[in-house]
Amino acid sequence: MNYLNDMSEINLSLQDRTNAYRQLGANPFRPWPARITSITQLTPKEKLFELRLIDEKVREAFTFTAGQFVELSIFGVGEAPISISSAPSKQGFIELCIREVGTVTAAIHRMQCGDVVGLRGPFGRGFPFEDMRGQDILLVAGGLGIAPLKSLINHIHDERHDFGKVTILLGARNPSEILFRHEFDMWKHREDFDLIMTVDDAVDPVNPDVTWDGEVGLVTRLFDRLDIEPAHTFGVICGPPVMYPFVVEEMRKKQLKVDRIFVSIERRMKCGIGMCNHCAVGHQYTCIEGPVFSYWDAINLQEAI
Amino acid sequence: MIYKIISKGALADLFAGLQETYDEVVGPQERGPAFVFDKLSSVDEVRLNYPSTILPPTKYFLPADERLFRFDRSTGDVYDSEPAQGTRAILGMHPCDINAVLMMDEIFMGDYVDPYYETARKSSFIIGVSCMPEPGHLCAAFGADEIHRGFDLFLTDLGDRYFVSCRSVPASELMDSYVRSCEPSAEDINDFQERTKRFKEAFAPMPKMDQLPLLYGAKYFDEELWERIGDDCLSCGACASVCPCCYCFDVRDKVDPGGKTGMRHRIWDSCLKSEHAEVAHGHNFRPTRASRVRYRFFHKFVGNFSRTGKMLCVGCSRCGKACKVGINPGSVIEALQKEYLPDTAGVEVFKGGGAS
Amino acid sequence: MTPHLFAAAPKPRVAVLSLASDFGCQVALSNFPQLLESLETIELVYWQLVLSADLPDDFDIAIIEGAVTTTEHEQFLLKVRGVAKTIITIGACAGTGGVPGMIDSQESLKQAQQEVYPSGQEGAGATPVADARLVPRPVSAVIDVDYTIPGCPIDSGEFSNILQGALLGVNERTEREPLCAYCKIIEAPCFYLMQGIAVTSAKAQGAATTATPCLGLVTQTGCGALCIGKGRPCTGCRGVAIDANLPAAREFVRKAGRSVEEFDAALRVYNSYYLEQRSGDEHHDSA
Repeated sequence: MNYLNDMSEINLSLQDRTNAYRQLGANPFRPWPARITSITQLTPKEKLFELRLIDEKVREAFTFTAGQFVELSIFGVGEAPISISSAPSKQGFIELCIREVGTVTAAIHRMQCGDVVGLRGPFGRGFPFEDMRGQDILLVAGGLGIAPLKSLINHIHDERHDFGKVTILLGARNPSEILFRHEFDMWKHREDFDLIMTVDDAVDPVNPDVTWDGEVGLVTRLFDRLDIEPAHTFGVICGPPVMYPFVVEEMRKKQLKVDRIFVSIERRMKCGIGMCNHCAVGHQYTCIEGPVFSYWDAINLQEAI
Repeated sequence: MIYKIISKGALADLFAGLQETYDEVVGPQERGPAFVFDKLSSVDEVRLNYPSTILPPTKYFLPADERLFRFDRSTGDVYDSEPAQGTRAILGMHPCDINAVLMMDEIFMGDYVDPYYETARKSSFIIGVSCMPEPGHLCAAFGADEIHRGFDLFLTDLGDRYFVSCRSVPASELMDSYVRSCEPSAEDINDFQERTKRFKEAFAPMPKMDQLPLLYGAKYFDEELWERIGDDCLSCGACASVCPCCYCFDVRDKVDPGGKTGMRHRIWDSCLKSEHAEVAHGHNFRPTRASRVRYRFFHKFVGNFSRTGKMLCVGCSRCGKACKVGINPGSVIEALQKEYLPDTAGVEVFKGGGAS
Repeated sequence: MTPHLFAAAPKPRVAVLSLASDFGCQVALSNFPQLLESLETIELVYWQLVLSADLPDDFDIAIIEGAVTTTEHEQFLLKVRGVAKTIITIGACAGTGGVPGMIDSQESLKQAQQEVYPSGQEGAGATPVADARLVPRPVSAVIDVDYTIPGCPIDSGEFSNILQGALLGVNERTEREPLCAYCKIIEAPCFYLMQGIAVTSAKAQGAATTATPCLGLVTQTGCGALCIGKGRPCTGCRGVAIDANLPAAREFVRKAGRSVEEFDAALRVYNSYYLEQRSGDEHHDSA
């Protein structure tokens, strides 16, 4: 894969592309049936679906790294690429945090526990977890961007002793839109994670009477108070595209190198296996070389950010 | 590789052998003023001296509309996902089209293997045939005018006989069983070299490819340039349909009238359609005609080049003939290389009068 | 085995409604070989062509054929939109204004009425020509439409696909691009490019100047290039494609030695309403 030579020093390991298909000699276009085992309404627009692959062989072969995605199939409606939110260490189950935004996501929002959907994957490359070991981690998530980061956070949590300081900056439009809020509320008092939540608007449209006691304003405003050792820190950003340049600028001010900052980007991954060309960004495919890119790679890809 | 000489009359024997050995024999034949690859029932139908066909023979490996599998909505069962069986001999592929198939192999049989493509590819027997350049053919610029692998047999036309390159075991067996042939003599080899010389000399001057990927990158944000080309584009995607190196596809579910079962299939797509880079919540990463035309040629000249060292174009000129407004690799390279096209240099609409 | 999407929900109640049209699309529907299977997924509550039942007060899906040509039609559509959750139009008349839409101004409406009904009265019963006649418009000019099935007449297979998609909540999957790519897929030689060659031969030159210009350049794809496959140029019955580049198409027609006026006149057969709206836009843009 010599085309990666011009890319950043810390290569996202190609092993991250899990070879469940090769292990099983399976047709990568054929979805594997998975049963919905639990549904949690996170916000008015987002639900967390826990899925279990029905075939045991497939379940065992299905290993992934944080940051990878699956293609969710609702037969008759179509497919949509969805980031995995659960940690790789959670055996046998896959969690998907899904916002009702298109036809496939609307269809799964109408489904119930016990219903069967199709899954293909995992696809793409995740975060460089092995390279991150022993380092400080600064995670910045905006809105639905927490969905893929949740997998990474959970994985770091499971192997916490391997990491230095872990800081999480979490932004949302208003308190009701903070995903996994109940979980994170409990984290606020932990000593091993520095978690700061901020909202653009403190008024909660769902529960207007509940007062917001967290921060108000953009996540970029939180950087002043951070104490970062740039040589030992990895930055990770996931959120709406408009957020990236501003957050990266703050990270650069903290002397973080562009190839130690990782972003997860969204495109229309249709096949997931580098063939249909819908997710092309510059000369790369989001479904193969992404969706996690180093910021250096991302700025070298036309129209990526 | 084994080399043989066969008379032109022996083509009938070769055809008979193909018909006995393969489920289907396809090749170029006339359709109105144009040529198409289609099923051959007799050797008389084939036109091996054809200039080009409307669609490239890659349609046999990646069809315009292909069943992936059937599904049952009520149970979530997936069935009939096996690729279609059946063998096919493709007679008369030009070097450019074989080169294109080799590039498609890297995409569909690379990191992941597409079983539908792979099955169609592996059950095909490919017989290449030599050609002479027609106006607009740019294969020499892209190094696609020669072919050294990717075929079973290759026929080089020496006037009254063919110089046959025999590359595979099935090809060698077919030749031994069905076709009277002899070893090439010194004269045959001399004629082969003469023929190659005439072929190379018949090309019109090719566009200069110097620094094309870098130049493209540098001019990527030249809005005036891309808007000028984009303003002309009819957004029809005819160029992508006829391109042997275009492979974008879309995946669609079609539910049967009873509502219970259905079929997932893939259909040809094109990056010139406005929905190509749209994501679920409606954001479009390439919202304008200019951005879509720019991406199309970027993918051809830079995108694939950066990944594999090859440009996704074999210079077959099909897109140039299919495009009614004169947007083609040659015109785009020219536009990139000139700071500004002179006002009077309107693009010729009917270059050479194609019929596809 | 598992509870499924809509499995438990009652079948949606469907009404087939007519405005101004020749019933061609409804006939196409009634000829659909898999009509009975389709009916397993819906409950047909009203269809004048095949049922004797009266239009009920409530239904879930309205399938509408025909152009809007009277104030009665307008009021009827507003009522239907208030009742139905989903509106599907079928055919060119409902989708683009269709052939009725060739009457595209008050003047041409008046003129047509005088020509067809010189006495000012309609039919043998001597009914007066309705004062409430309007310049014909597509259904979408009056109410929001959820799904459009284009064509004159519609293809019943396409109807079934879109209906089944609608039942599952699939977004409208109208193809956006013009026809040309599909002519390549069926490997039909292009009319314009044949005419391009033709310039060198007197005989074909004659053919080039007499044939109607093919409107596939701007017409929404999805028909499988049916007409072109049968050797006839596209008449534009599916409407102007979303992605169509009309100015560039006209420029091409001009360069191909054809008259742009002739091209526009051909386009008006099914797309008068679109062109009228657009000419307003263009005027507005340049102003």
